[in-house]
Amino acid sequence: MSYDPADARRKNTVLALTLFGVVGGMVGLAFAAVPLYTLFCQVTGYAGTPKLAAGEHVGGNPNGLSIEVRFDSNVARNLPWTFKPVQPKVTVTLGEETLVHYTARNTGKTPVVGTATFNVTPFKAAQYFTKIECFCFTEQRLEPGQEMSMPVLFYVDPAILDDPNARDVGTLTLSYTFFRDDKAAAAPPAVPGRGS
Amino acid sequence: MSDASTAVADAGLHIHAHPTGWRRWLYSTNHKDIGTMYMVASFAAGLIGGVLSWIMRLELAAPGIQYISDPQAYNVMVTAHGLIMVFFVVMPALIGGFGNWFVPMMIGAPDMAFPRMNNISFWLLAAAVVLMLMGVVTGVGPGVGWTVYPPLSSATYHPGMSVDFGILSLHLAGASSILGAINFIVTIFNMRAPGMTLHRMPLFVWSMLLTAFLLLLALPVLAGALTMLLTDRNFGTTFFVVAGGGDPVLWQHLFWFFGHPEVYIMILPAFGIVSQIISTFSRKPIFGYLGMAYAMVAIGVIGFVVWAHHMFTVGLNVDTRAYFVIATMIIAVPTGIKVFSWLATMWGGSLTFPTPMLWATGFIFVFVVGGVTGVVLANAGIDVQVHDTYFVVAHFHYVLSLGALFMIFGGFYYWIGKMSGRQYPETLSKVQFWLSFIGVNLVFFPMHFLGLQGMPRRYVDYPDAFAGWNMVSSVGALISMASTVLFLYIVYYTLRHGERCPANPWGEGATTLEWKVASPAPFHTFETPPVITGRT
Amino acid sequence: MLLWGMTGMRVIRVLSRGAVALVLACLAGAALAAQPEPWGIGMQPAATEVASDIRILWHIVFAIVLAVCLLVLVLLVYIIWRFNAKRNPRPSTASHNTWLEITWTVIPAVIVAAIAVPSVKLLYFMDRAQDAEMTIKVTGYQWFWGYEYPDHGGFTFDAVMLADDKLPAGAPRLLETDNRIVIPVNTTVRVLVTSQDVIHAWAVPAFGVKVDSVPGRINETWINADHEGVYYGQCSELCGVNHAFMPITVEVVSKDRFATWVREAQTKFARADGTPVQVASETR
Repeated sequence: MSYDPADARRKNTVLALTLFGVVGGMVGLAFAAVPLYTLFCQVTGYAGTPKLAAGEHVGGNPNGLSIEVRFDSNVARNLPWTFKPVQPKVTVTLGEETLVHYTARNTGKTPVVGTATFNVTPFKAAQYFTKIECFCFTEQRLEPGQEMSMPVLFYVDPAILDDPNARDVGTLTLSYTFFRDDKAAAAPPAVPGRGS
Repeated sequence: MSDASTAVADAGLHIHAHPTGWRRWLYSTNHKDIGTMYMVASFAAGLIGGVLSWIMRLELAAPGIQYISDPQAYNVMVTAHGLIMVFFVVMPALIGGFGNWFVPMMIGAPDMAFPRMNNISFWLLAAAVVLMLMGVVTGVGPGVGWTVYPPLSSATYHPGMSVDFGILSLHLAGASSILGAINFIVTIFNMRAPGMTLHRMPLFVWSMLLTAFLLLLALPVLAGALTMLLTDRNFGTTFFVVAGGGDPVLWQHLFWFFGHPEVYIMILPAFGIVSQIISTFSRKPIFGYLGMAYAMVAIGVIGFVVWAHHMFTVGLNVDTRAYFVIATMIIAVPTGIKVFSWLATMWGGSLTFPTPMLWATGFIFVFVVGGVTGVVLANAGIDVQVHDTYFVVAHFHYVLSLGALFMIFGGFYYWIGKMSGRQYPETLSKVQFWLSFIGVNLVFFPMHFLGLQGMPRRYVDYPDAFAGWNMVSSVGALISMASTVLFLYIVYYTLRHGERCPANPWGEGATTLEWKVASPAPFHTFETPPVITGRT
Repeated sequence: MLLWGMTGMRVIRVLSRGAVALVLACLAGAALAAQPEPWGIGMQPAATEVASDIRILWHIVFAIVLAVCLLVLVLLVYIIWRFNAKRNPRPSTASHNTWLEITWTVIPAVIVAAIAVPSVKLLYFMDRAQDAEMTIKVTGYQWFWGYEYPDHGGFTFDAVMLADDKLPAGAPRLLETDNRIVIPVNTTVRVLVTSQDVIHAWAVPAFGVKVDSVPGRINETWINADHEGVYYGQCSELCGVNHAFMPITVEVVSKDRFATWVREAQTKFARADGTPVQVASETR
């Protein structure tokens, strides 16, 4: 076997640099996982992420079947708000747009901004819960003592009936959690923010 | 002249320079010296990790708070024990220690491809140990578990610098391991002696090659996730902060994408050592060599797509869980190939049982016990019952504390003659094996019962009903502590009074290249590459 | 060699004791209390269908893995006895046997598939949404649990571990809380789980239930307890200093007693937002 030291050195360096490239790529992938994970959840309804729609919706529920939707609310301990659904649950016809309200009230002595996260259970049915409009897309600023009605416009996709996994779901639960957002509070007035 | 002597020359060091005193170690670019430093560091860290575990076992010997009045201190011990054992004991011993010592020798290379990078790898690790210990003694300490789940690990729930020290320590340990991994891959791919084809390499070299690839792919993801956690803690980012639109569950995905391959990083080198020892003392070549090598490849590959079986209770879609159940169970197949091939290697052999072979045989049994409880845990339904209980603690200690650690001991007894030139005392070492074997089985076997009964892990105190088996477990810890003390004496005795070891103390069964050179192995070996004509 | 055999025997004895105890625990059913027992070696007796299905699957898998362990142990002992250097001075040179290798690849694959089928079936059964008759909401805090009964006027209460000096006679240490959650027997109860701070896990071994409580999201599971009694669980995800001291105490009672308890609780506990409970809005 003929042997050339310069060639061996070059081969070692090239391989090592390639491997460093792989390391860099994996670090990049770790960071790419952040937006990809959010996108993945939104597209597939993974981890209870409901679908978001822009107005139009599908019909396809000739039998007028209905489903129960329950509403849950949570407030972070450092946010001096009360926050609860007006009705704890409604029964809706599949495919039909429904409007419900939550009410939030600032019980503190200073203006506070809150942002909400949300999810739907059971997870396997979340992809059929489609929100057309809701307050969670906006940071909400409440003056002391101010009460605000927060609408949620949604429908449940009749396609849930065709999903062998989710067909058994008779009740969906939509849950919101409000967190204090001091960063937004520092820059009034409230600006449109992230959804979740 | 061979590849690596060039590389050494590149590093600006004359190949025959033989520095002495502290320079020999601090500036070392010699794979054997660096390997020795890794072994020493690992044993020192092992004593720290071991002392922590004995304190915890003392505390848990009876219900009620005995010695650790602050539960946070207990949580910090749990965390430190885990991180130290994983990053500063098992990995340095198996990869940095035995890997550095024997990979170049087994493939007939004069040294690692990048000797100076090898030196950096070691000293980064040393710095990482220091940072970890600083984290433990600073402020409230990192009481977060080795999994470091946010929000518990966030600045809100763990203020102060201790978690930051821990994160930086893991960063350095990760960088150290990545550099080491690149070194091993380049060495194994480019520096094999003429005739040493990939399919002729000893299985230990195969295991190190695969381990290096796992490190290369898994550790950067941990580094990325740790960086996000660090900026979440210090610079107001919200990767894992739910109030800011992040998701703490994303951390778990990233962590376990690293964490699951990590367990194979710890066990694959042990597989390699078992294979060498069993082949040597059966005086037979490995049975089903190719199956063995490619079973490890399969374990490594599948190991990357099973991570969420650590997250069955976090709230994952059912289809996802079903996938992870099945993918995880598939790993049992290549693992079974390995176990049966070891048995078949022994079958028909002419077996002798000096200390290394005792450890290897013991390994097969405890690894099977740890492996089958892994199959139990893979069932998401059963996992819901025993997740985060002592059943899990028993499972992973059977594969790691009994599996990987057994092969650190096994490798030590197998190679100490080659490394030091002196052989260990046989009878005393056998006593140490039996003490350890009985001790660790007493520690961990009852934990299965505790877990099935529902005792959650990471508890400083437990309901009185769990007292019985906890006492048994603590008695086992005392026995294994005695065996550790005995081991320290054996190391002292060997280095001081051990008999001179011949080049090959094991006879015709020991066929790999390291047994062709004198004991202790000369400072430089295989400067002229040997020519290989068959599988060693 | 002798020691090897003895260790093997110890393992076999312990394992077979485990099997016997498991069978006994199943037969005994409701007679056993659903809390850990001194020297217990099996799962706590099941109090729901899900939990008993988990135990059935565990028995199947346990039998298989026990057989695998014993097979390896027997082979090891035989090999050590038959092929040691004294008895077999000349080693064979066999280094492969394709059929043998295929066998020990295929048979484990078949066994794994055999485990996977009931396992996945159980998984889907556990995930099956039931038409729950009522809902309770569980919120994890550092270091206690908060409970809400949204279908019964929305009263809430916290359940904090009883310190040793407050413990009633006979109550287990570290498992009893000041307020127990009460649910009716033979009723499907939807459980919504969330957290107000770090991740906890709400777990009751006798129910076969363990759900992480994650801040900012709810997880859902369900319980249908088929025996009245008191059941204990503990937080099962490291959540900080007092992780070991936030137990779960569930009392399963008859439907009548549950109705009585609800009436008492509505007066005793305030609503989630502090306003009095509107008993009229109760929906059952």
